Amino acid sequence: MNSVFVRHKWEPYLWLLPSILLMLIFIVFPIAIVFKLSFSHISPAGVVGDFVGFGNFQKAINDPAFKQVMINTFIWVVSVVGFSTLIGFGVAVLLNQKLFGRKIVRSIVVFPWATSLVIQASIWNYIIKYEYGNLNNVLLNLGIIKNAINWRVSYQIEFMWECWVGIFVTIPFVTFCILAGLQSIDSAYYEAATVDGAGAWQKFRHVTFPLVQPSLTVSTILNIIYVFNSFPIIYTITKGAPANKTDTMITLLYMRAFYDRQKGPATALSVIGFVVLCIVSGIYMVSSLRKEEH
Amino acid sequence: MTKKQKIRNKHRWLLLVFLSLLLSIILLSLPVYSFRQIVYSKRHANTPVDSEKYIEAKALAQDAMLPFGEDAKLNETVTHRTNSKGETTTMVAFEVGVKFTRNGWSWMKSGLLSGHILLIAFGSIVLASLFAVLSYQSGQKIQDKHAYHVKDRRLLIACVLSLIALLLIPVFAMHANYTFNRNIPFLLDDNALDAPVVQQGMDFLFTQEQDPISAFKGLSFQATGFLWMLFAIFFLNLIGLIKLYQGEIAAALLTGFKYVAVIVLCVVILYPYFVMFITGFRTPVEANDMRFRYIFPTKWIWSNMTDILNRGVPQYLLNSAVLSAGATLIAMLCGIPAAYAMARMDFKGKKAYLGFVIMSQMFAPVVLLVGISQLMTTLKLNNTILGLIFINAAFNQAFAIWLLRGTFISISSEMEQAACIDGTSTVGALLRILLPMAAPGIVTTLIFVFINSWNEYTISTVLIATPTKKPITVGITQFSSFNMIEWHYLFAAALLATLPVIVLFMLIEKHLVSGLTSGGVKG
Repeated sequence: MNSVFVRHKWEPYLWLLPSILLMLIFIVFPIAIVFKLSFSHISPAGVVGDFVGFGNFQKAINDPAFKQVMINTFIWVVSVVGFSTLIGFGVAVLLNQKLFGRKIVRSIVVFPWATSLVIQASIWNYIIKYEYGNLNNVLLNLGIIKNAINWRVSYQIEFMWECWVGIFVTIPFVTFCILAGLQSIDSAYYEAATVDGAGAWQKFRHVTFPLVQPSLTVSTILNIIYVFNSFPIIYTITKGAPANKTDTMITLLYMRAFYDRQKGPATALSVIGFVVLCIVSGIYMVSSLRKEEH
Repeated sequence: MTKKQKIRNKHRWLLLVFLSLLLSIILLSLPVYSFRQIVYSKRHANTPVDSEKYIEAKALAQDAMLPFGEDAKLNETVTHRTNSKGETTTMVAFEVGVKFTRNGWSWMKSGLLSGHILLIAFGSIVLASLFAVLSYQSGQKIQDKHAYHVKDRRLLIACVLSLIALLLIPVFAMHANYTFNRNIPFLLDDNALDAPVVQQGMDFLFTQEQDPISAFKGLSFQATGFLWMLFAIFFLNLIGLIKLYQGEIAAALLTGFKYVAVIVLCVVILYPYFVMFITGFRTPVEANDMRFRYIFPTKWIWSNMTDILNRGVPQYLLNSAVLSAGATLIAMLCGIPAAYAMARMDFKGKKAYLGFVIMSQMFAPVVLLVGISQLMTTLKLNNTILGLIFINAAFNQAFAIWLLRGTFISISSEMEQAACIDGTSTVGALLRILLPMAAPGIVTTLIFVFINSWNEYTISTVLIATPTKKPITVGITQFSSFNMIEWHYLFAAALLATLPVIVLFMLIEKHLVSGLTSGGVKG
């Protein structure tokens, strides 16, 4: 057994106590406050009033921007998680090969993970500017285009750029999770598959993929949570403009709470977001666990 | 495949290498740009054909032709006129037209930077082919000792040289485009950005009298096709060399594809950092106006750095450092015991605690912002760095415990068990035995939490109002106010904020993989 001798039954709880206290005060209390506020009337000045039932939720759902924001949130999460997982998987497979300078490439891949999202978003915001953005500048100087291109013609295109930035900053996390899975695969499996006459694709399909499935599940669940909760990218590039057309739930929540002084609907949005997140990641977890059993 | 066939194949690929060399020589000799220009033009009134005056004039024109050799053409027009008195006079006009052609060789000799680059590219192709021949000769000698597929170092050098040549073509294109295309708007404004370069370009095209703008445009139009062909030829050369080196074309292509993918990956990832770097050193005019801008700053403005240091950035950096160090300290003080208990002890509610930790990940600080700001007001931690420290520590608990637990599990507990039997307490076992052994994992976690806290933005914007208490991520937004964004300052500050963290992250990158493995997958 991989455990140490414990003198008292209550000793493990003592070890856990600091961590539990920390999280209780600074995570669970705010959660409780948010839940409580979502059911109470809050004046624009922030004074908490009476219990109003689902009044805040009604207000939040009846918000004219709500429908568009829900669609945006869906597109945001699905596209960012989906594409970053696909690309990250590819990069992980690439980095798992014998390559000259692999260490350097691995350190480079980690860059976006190590950089603050505000800074990343600011840089991309600058890159795609029409009049003086760097992308146009580079393409013009290389002679690839003759005239500057407006990279942000409409809010849909701007939102696509935001998704791209999201994908860009998420790739390293996926790559490293999957790389961890790939490196823990015993090479004996591949040797056995070679003996059985499996081709490269079959090896990937029947050896690599099932064995990295756990890492993939972990990274996807965490990604869904992180991407859903991601805030600085959209806030920096468009601030939800025009008229909340590029907002996701999180940025809308922030705007409502701290710009429009509607803390009631904002907390209701938090609760809705949390419930959605729980359901989605719960479904994903259950279904992928089932798959693993098969 | 028999040995003979193999050798024949080898001949074939060597042939391809030389064919591409030959093609590139032909291409370089073809005119990239040609135009006709009048260098001499004179009219002679009252000069009957074959008169003395006529012969004199023709000799003059022929003198003007001399320096241009066979490219020059003499054009003679004779006009007869009857004047009012009824006399017929003859007018002769001599024009010397010269056809100028410019090809790759003259480009190399032109003294333009793009010419030098072309020369280097061509030189490395020649060298590469030379190396291929050298290895071929020695390959003939050692053929019998079944060492046919010995990967020859000389062939590797040849491959690298050929690759360099291939990569130099875009560089060449960039510089040619800079000289002949990007300068056009400046010529139009009579405001040449880089006057010596423009002069060089004009000398090269011999356009003292011709309109430089149309000449430049004509060249860049024709040069595009030239470039693509050169690129294709150099690519053939590379393929041939790789085939010679690798033996199998499929493996060679796969290797090539892999490296292309890696290069594309690195370019895409580094691009925003490149933008941040160069923009941080631009002048404000260059940062905000594309017309006055080349890929690299025309002047590197180091004073951007000193300017931002006078605008509160050192204070922000200090705040960030304090905040991250504090958060890391608290997260570790709470996380290490918890991870130790999770890794080494059995108790009721272990799963419940794990569930609790995972649940805490569900809530990002943004979602709880309203609750957090309320709580902070109650605790009187509003607008303090201490408040941020606690929040960051709490939200990093989950990942810290995950990583630490993985590290602890991967270390055998035998030593601790022995120590416990000898009477050491569990605290002693943790401090004296486990922690020293788990040092790499602990450092990884430490740095990870530090970086997360350093990069945190959302809570800090809401909780901190006093400018002197802002961390760097919030502090740099002062350079991007609504009506004016000072991009050069913004990126100079971003550079200072990013560099230390990236260096730290590169240090732990290797351990992070193993940490994720043992923590996430095995556990």
